[in-house]
Amino acid sequence: MAAPPRPTAPDRLRRLLALVPWVVANDGPTIAEVCERFDVSEADLVEELNTVFLCGVHPFTPDLLMEVDIVDGRVFIRLADYFERPLRLTPEEGLALVASGAALQAVPGADPTGPLARALDKVASVLGIDATGALEVVLGSVPEDVLDVLREGMARNRQVEIDYYTYGRDERTVRTVDPWDVFTAAGEWYLTAWCHRAGGERRFRLDRIGAARLEATDFDPPSARPSRAVYAAVPDDPRVVLDLAPRARWVLEQYPVEAVEERTDGRCRVTLAVSEEAWLERLLLRLGKDATPVEGGEGLAAAAAARILARYDDR
Amino acid sequence: MSKLERLLNLTAALLTTRRPLAASEIATRVPGYPSDKVAFRRAFARDKEVLRDMGIPLEVAPVPGADPPVEGYRIAPEQYALRDPGLEPDEVAALHLATVAVRVDGLAGSEALWKLGGAPGERDGEPVAQLPATPELAPLFRAVAERAPAVFGYRGERRTLEPHRLTFARGRWYVEGHDRDRGELRQFRLDRIEGDIEVGEPGSFERPLATRSSQAHAWEIGGHDEAVTATVRVDADQAPWVRRDLGEAAVLTTHGDGSLDVAVEVRNRDAFRSWLIGFLDHAEVLSPVELRDDLVAWLRDQVA
Repeated sequence: MAAPPRPTAPDRLRRLLALVPWVVANDGPTIAEVCERFDVSEADLVEELNTVFLCGVHPFTPDLLMEVDIVDGRVFIRLADYFERPLRLTPEEGLALVASGAALQAVPGADPTGPLARALDKVASVLGIDATGALEVVLGSVPEDVLDVLREGMARNRQVEIDYYTYGRDERTVRTVDPWDVFTAAGEWYLTAWCHRAGGERRFRLDRIGAARLEATDFDPPSARPSRAVYAAVPDDPRVVLDLAPRARWVLEQYPVEAVEERTDGRCRVTLAVSEEAWLERLLLRLGKDATPVEGGEGLAAAAAARILARYDDR
Repeated sequence: MSKLERLLNLTAALLTTRRPLAASEIATRVPGYPSDKVAFRRAFARDKEVLRDMGIPLEVAPVPGADPPVEGYRIAPEQYALRDPGLEPDEVAALHLATVAVRVDGLAGSEALWKLGGAPGERDGEPVAQLPATPELAPLFRAVAERAPAVFGYRGERRTLEPHRLTFARGRWYVEGHDRDRGELRQFRLDRIEGDIEVGEPGSFERPLATRSSQAHAWEIGGHDEAVTATVRVDADQAPWVRRDLGEAAVLTTHGDGSLDVAVEVRNRDAFRSWLIGFLDHAEVLSPVELRDDLVAWLRDQVA
């Protein structure tokens, strides 16, 4: 692995302005502890403390210089009352803390009154906001019982049986999987697993797993973490071309359209990769008259509509 | 003399002065600057930029008694310092864990943690979640925190918003607040904001105490339709997620074959229809008659 780039002077200043107040307040912490807390090597730390040693305020008489001592592996800094408090948090830093914390609190199983929740309240109050009101993270619905079973399967390398609904094919199946990775992306929770039914690596959405059960069989975990790329159209996926009315333009933002062509009548012609027919059926039924299939998908909406209507005609 | 040393001395000088210091005074009090006037000016301009980029509140004000008048610089200690949040060690550790477990693209939580005393422990764990960040996020967060109005372009119009909160949902960031031009609560998608965001005067408005959660279903919000309770039958193979999504309280009846009758509050009929279509032929509106007819008409229109 390549060595990390040498930090710039502003990067080192940022660290020092945070490190000095902590050393002053903790009167003589060990070098090892300072290095671990501030993610710095001992050599770099000593070099930076030597810099601090020469700093102070005009006219730089000895009583106005900062005093740094390293005695028996412990660090002492004195006369730094102007650096007694760390610099306030920038909006970006406050955001990073609050957003990360709020997201972790949104993960099922989080303790709403635990240390993280208390920390977020305190940080928020320093920032002048209330933590729950100012920033909210919704990670997508996830069945907690399913998540628990998958986590256990991953922790113990045990196979799991899942009852899965394939939205794109409108089909429900029971399959045995080796759970490899659970993560959230784009507002949904996903499982990456080896699927024994399909005989390959598959991606499953957690909210479409109806039930999960731990099996007695072990599996060998993959040697590297699988990719987390969520959507990738493959060249073989069928393409469909639709004309969309202005009201249906949300499709352009919601789905990865491959081509857009503006028409003279205010409509636009889009090309979409469609790997699953039921997915296209729903899209066309939702759009109604606002979409006209130009290539592919002809008659699909009518057939799906007739299938649904059969339920209503019986009564 | 290293640049780091000069920056440290400059910060110390500006923090300890009671009155603004003229650039010429800084040149003599802070060691490490070039003696040539032009080179000094260039170096000092760069240093000011570095301090501002770090979030150091550098004040610019006239030097008292200077004739002719001259601009001076200082850092007010009370503006500079972080108020001590009084975090316990387990609370700092929890924050550290959160910044490792959840990555916000392009935003490092580590520097924020240093200011809170740093955190020992693992730094390279696998994140559970990754939140995307757009350039609009930081200025809007500042506007929320400072209760400052935000002015931005949205769909070709200028909007002035009193932002109440940021929400990440369905894979996107939203900002919600009081739209001054429309005189009502509005939600905006961050990725649709056009151009830069201007953040106005801090403390310009009061944030309402509790804002509604954005976890409401689409058919419950945003519509202008009179609220009506619909009963929907859902087949057994769709029952598990419907039960989870709507909650037990919505379930009216569980039939012997595993199908469910659920009650939903509908305020937005278009969104309700869209939700139903998601089930294809695995669900049916039982009542009221007008919602049933609504769907049937919509579908007949597509068979014809």
